[in-house]
Amino acid sequence: MSKRDLKNISEIRRFFHRNEDPIYFISATNFNLLGIDEWCKNFKYICYIDCYDGRHPNVFCPSEQPHAEFQSIEDINNYLLQHKEVIDLVKRRGGKPKFVFLMFDEETERLAKELGADVWFPKAKLRTKMDNKIETVRVGNKAGVPSVPNTLAEVKSYEDLKKTCDKAGLGHDLVLQSAFGDSGHTTFFIKSEADFRRHEHEIVGEGEIKIMKRIDCRGSAIEACATSQGTIVGPLMTELVGFKELTPYRGGWCGNEIFSTAFSPKVRQKARDLTFKFGEQLRKEGYRGYFELDFLIDKKTGDIWLGELNPRITGASSMTNHAAFAHADAPLFLFHLLEFSKAKFKLDVDELNARWADPDMIDGWSQMVVKHTEDTVDILSHAPQTGIYKMLEDGRVVFDRFDYHRRAVESENEAFFLRILKPGDYRYEGADLGILVTRGRSMTNGFQLNERAKRWIHGIKSAFSANPLPVAEAGPALAEPAFKIM
Amino acid sequence: MDLWWRAISEAEPGPKWAGLFAELWPAYKAWWLREGADARPTYLESLRALETHMPEIVPLYERLCDLAGGGDLAARFLSFYRPPPYLSGCSQAIWPGKAPVLVRNYDYDPRAFECVVLHSSWQGRKVMGTSDGLWGLVDGMNDAGLAVSLTFGGRRVVGDGFGVPLILRYVLQTCATTEEAGKALARIPTHMSYNVTVLDRKRHFLTAFMAPDRPAVLTHAAVATNHQEKVEWDAHARMTASVERERFLLQRLTLHVEPEEKFIAAFLRPPLYSTAFERGFGTLYTAVYRPRKGEMELRWPRGAWSFDMKNFAEGTRCIATPEPQSRVS
Repeated sequence: MSKRDLKNISEIRRFFHRNEDPIYFISATNFNLLGIDEWCKNFKYICYIDCYDGRHPNVFCPSEQPHAEFQSIEDINNYLLQHKEVIDLVKRRGGKPKFVFLMFDEETERLAKELGADVWFPKAKLRTKMDNKIETVRVGNKAGVPSVPNTLAEVKSYEDLKKTCDKAGLGHDLVLQSAFGDSGHTTFFIKSEADFRRHEHEIVGEGEIKIMKRIDCRGSAIEACATSQGTIVGPLMTELVGFKELTPYRGGWCGNEIFSTAFSPKVRQKARDLTFKFGEQLRKEGYRGYFELDFLIDKKTGDIWLGELNPRITGASSMTNHAAFAHADAPLFLFHLLEFSKAKFKLDVDELNARWADPDMIDGWSQMVVKHTEDTVDILSHAPQTGIYKMLEDGRVVFDRFDYHRRAVESENEAFFLRILKPGDYRYEGADLGILVTRGRSMTNGFQLNERAKRWIHGIKSAFSANPLPVAEAGPALAEPAFKIM
Repeated sequence: MDLWWRAISEAEPGPKWAGLFAELWPAYKAWWLREGADARPTYLESLRALETHMPEIVPLYERLCDLAGGGDLAARFLSFYRPPPYLSGCSQAIWPGKAPVLVRNYDYDPRAFECVVLHSSWQGRKVMGTSDGLWGLVDGMNDAGLAVSLTFGGRRVVGDGFGVPLILRYVLQTCATTEEAGKALARIPTHMSYNVTVLDRKRHFLTAFMAPDRPAVLTHAAVATNHQEKVEWDAHARMTASVERERFLLQRLTLHVEPEEKFIAAFLRPPLYSTAFERGFGTLYTAVYRPRKGEMELRWPRGAWSFDMKNFAEGTRCIATPEPQSRVS
C-alpha cells in the first residue's frame, strides 16, 4: 500500500486497481455491489444464492449444507462465515481479509475476527443505534434535517393512539413505524380501527412507536458516503413503492429510477444539501462510510422531509454505483472502501459533489424488484436465467445472451435480469423472483408504472413455471355420521 | 387411516367420562410409564403441586380420580404433573377482523390422538374443546367467551411443572378474560415450552411463551407456531417449517384484507396444512373458535363439523386422514 497521499480521483482509481488486500462482499446475493469487482482488484463476492449458475468469475457460492432456519440476512452471513468452503477460500487467498456486508450483527463481527478479518463498516452496535427510527429523528433534528410531523409514544389501543395524536395535532390519518424495519414491513398506514387491528400485534407492546401525520408525498432515495474529507452525495432517485405487479407489500419498496429530471432543480439541490448536513452529523456521532436517506417530498408544496436512514448499502446502491457519473469518476462505494482502507487521501468533496449534481452526469435507468405477488405456494420447475433479455415487437420477452454487466443493456428494448429464485425453490407470496434493470424510465410522469415496465414484468414473470404442492385430502370417510355412540 | 372422532357431552364427571378413561387408559399408561414409574412424581407430590398451583380444580381432580378407579398410577397420571416429554407441531392465529376468532391447526401423530371433542359443565362452567389426556385440552373455549390454544414452543428443555393441556383446562375452568388468563399462564409452571394464545369475547388477546426454565413472556403476538421469540431448536423448526408458517401467517394478517372464511381456508392448504404425517407432524384438524358466539368448528380439507356451546350435539365422524407415507419432494 502506497504511503503517499492519494490526491485525486485518478490516483484513487489507480490505488484500487492495484489493490492487494482481499476484500469480500458477503451477502445472500451480490446484487447490491454488482460491478465493484471491476473497480477494485482482489474483490470477491461470497454469496448464498448463485444468480449466475457458476458463470460469474468473482462470485463464490459454497455448496449448501444443512443450516439453521434463516430469520434474517445476518443469519445468512453468519452461516456463510462458518462454512468450510468459505473459510478455506479466505485462507487460501491469504492476506489480511476485509469483509463488507449488507447486514451484520455482533455475531458476524465475532466470526470475522475469528477469521482474522476486518469488517469495513462501523460497528454493528453503532449501526443498530443509527438504524433505530427514533434515533434517526434525533440525529436529523441535530443536523437541521426535519422529519415529518411526528410524535414518539407507546400505543396501547386504537383509542389510545387517537388520544396521542389529538394531543400532538397529527390528525387520524397516520403512518406508524416501529423502531426497526424496512421495505414496508414495519410501516403501517392507519386511518381506521380496521387498519389498526391488522397491525395491532406489531404495534401494541412494541415499545416506542414513531407516529407520523400522513402526507401526500413521493418517496425518494439518496445515497451518500461520509468520509474524512466530507460527505459525498449521490443523486436523488425516485422510489417505486407498492406496485401490485411487483410487491404484495403495501408501501413496500420495489425499485428505483435514476434520471436527471426526476425532481425539480430546487428539490434536488435541497435534498443534496440536507444529505450533506446529515452525513456531517453522522460523522460527529462516530459513523462513517456509506449510508442512504429516504426523503418524503410533499407533492403539493415540494416540502422535503426526512423519512428514514439506512446506515448501510441498500437495494438502491446498484443504481447509484452504475450511473454515468459513477463510471466517469468512481462508484460511490469505492469511496467507502477508501475511507476504511487507511490510505491517506485528499479529495475536493465540494468539487466532486458539484460535478455529481450536474444533470449531464446522470443517465436514465430503472430497476424493478419482482416478487411473487400472488397468494399461492408452489415449487418452481423453471426460472429464466440471468442475462440480457429482449422485448419482441409483440411484447414477448426472450432471453438474448448471458451477461452479468447491466451496462450491456443497449436500448430500452433490452433489459438485464438477475435471477434470484431458481428451479426447486418454493415460490410463495413475497418471494423475490429477480431484479429487472432497464434503461430509461419505468414510471409515467404521474409516477405510475408505465406500459413498457408492465410488459417487462409480465414477460419475465411468464418465463417462470411451477408445480403445485401435494395436497392432503383429509375429510369425512362417510358423508353422514355413521352412528351415535352414546 | 380412518380416525373416529367423537363429540361427547357430560355436564358433571360421570359414566361417560369413566368410560372414556377405561378405554384410553391402557394406551396412556404405557406412554406415561415409558421411563418407568419412578421417573414420575409420587401421588403426594402430584397432589401437593395441584394444591399449590391450581387449588380451585383439586375437587374436580379428586372426583375424576374416583371415576378412574382410585388407583395410584391413574391419579398420578391425571395430575399432569411432570409427565413424560412430548412434541407436536401446530399453528395458531387470531383473525384480524372485528369479531374475535381464533384459528388453529393441530399437527400431531394420529396414532397418539384421542379424537375427542369434550363438552362439560364441570364446577358450573361450560367448557368445550379438543381433549388430550382425558381432562386436559389442546384447544378450547368456555362460556365466558374465553378461547385458548397451544403450540409446542420448539425448545428441548424439560423441567418441573405441569403438562400444558391441564394448564389450558385450568385457565378455562377458572378465568373469564384474557387478562385473567395471562396472569394464570404467567404463574403456573409448565414442564416444557409452549406457546399459549388466548382470546376473549372483547377481542383482547395475548400469546404466552411458557417455559420451565425461565419466566413466561406475555406478548401481543397474534400468531404462534413452533418457536418462541427466536428459533432455539433448529432441527425441529426446520422439520416443522415453523419459521415459514409464522411468516406466512404474519403476511396474511397484515397484507390481506380478507374475509374470515378465506383466512380460515388458508389453514387447510400448505404451508400451514402440514402433510408430514409420517413424522408425526401432519395436520389432524383445523379448529375455529368464535368466543362471542360460543361456537367451535373442526375443519378438514374436505369436511367440517360445528359445535355450539349452548346446544352441543354429540356425534361421531370418521375422518380419513392421510396414511403416513414417504414425503413427496
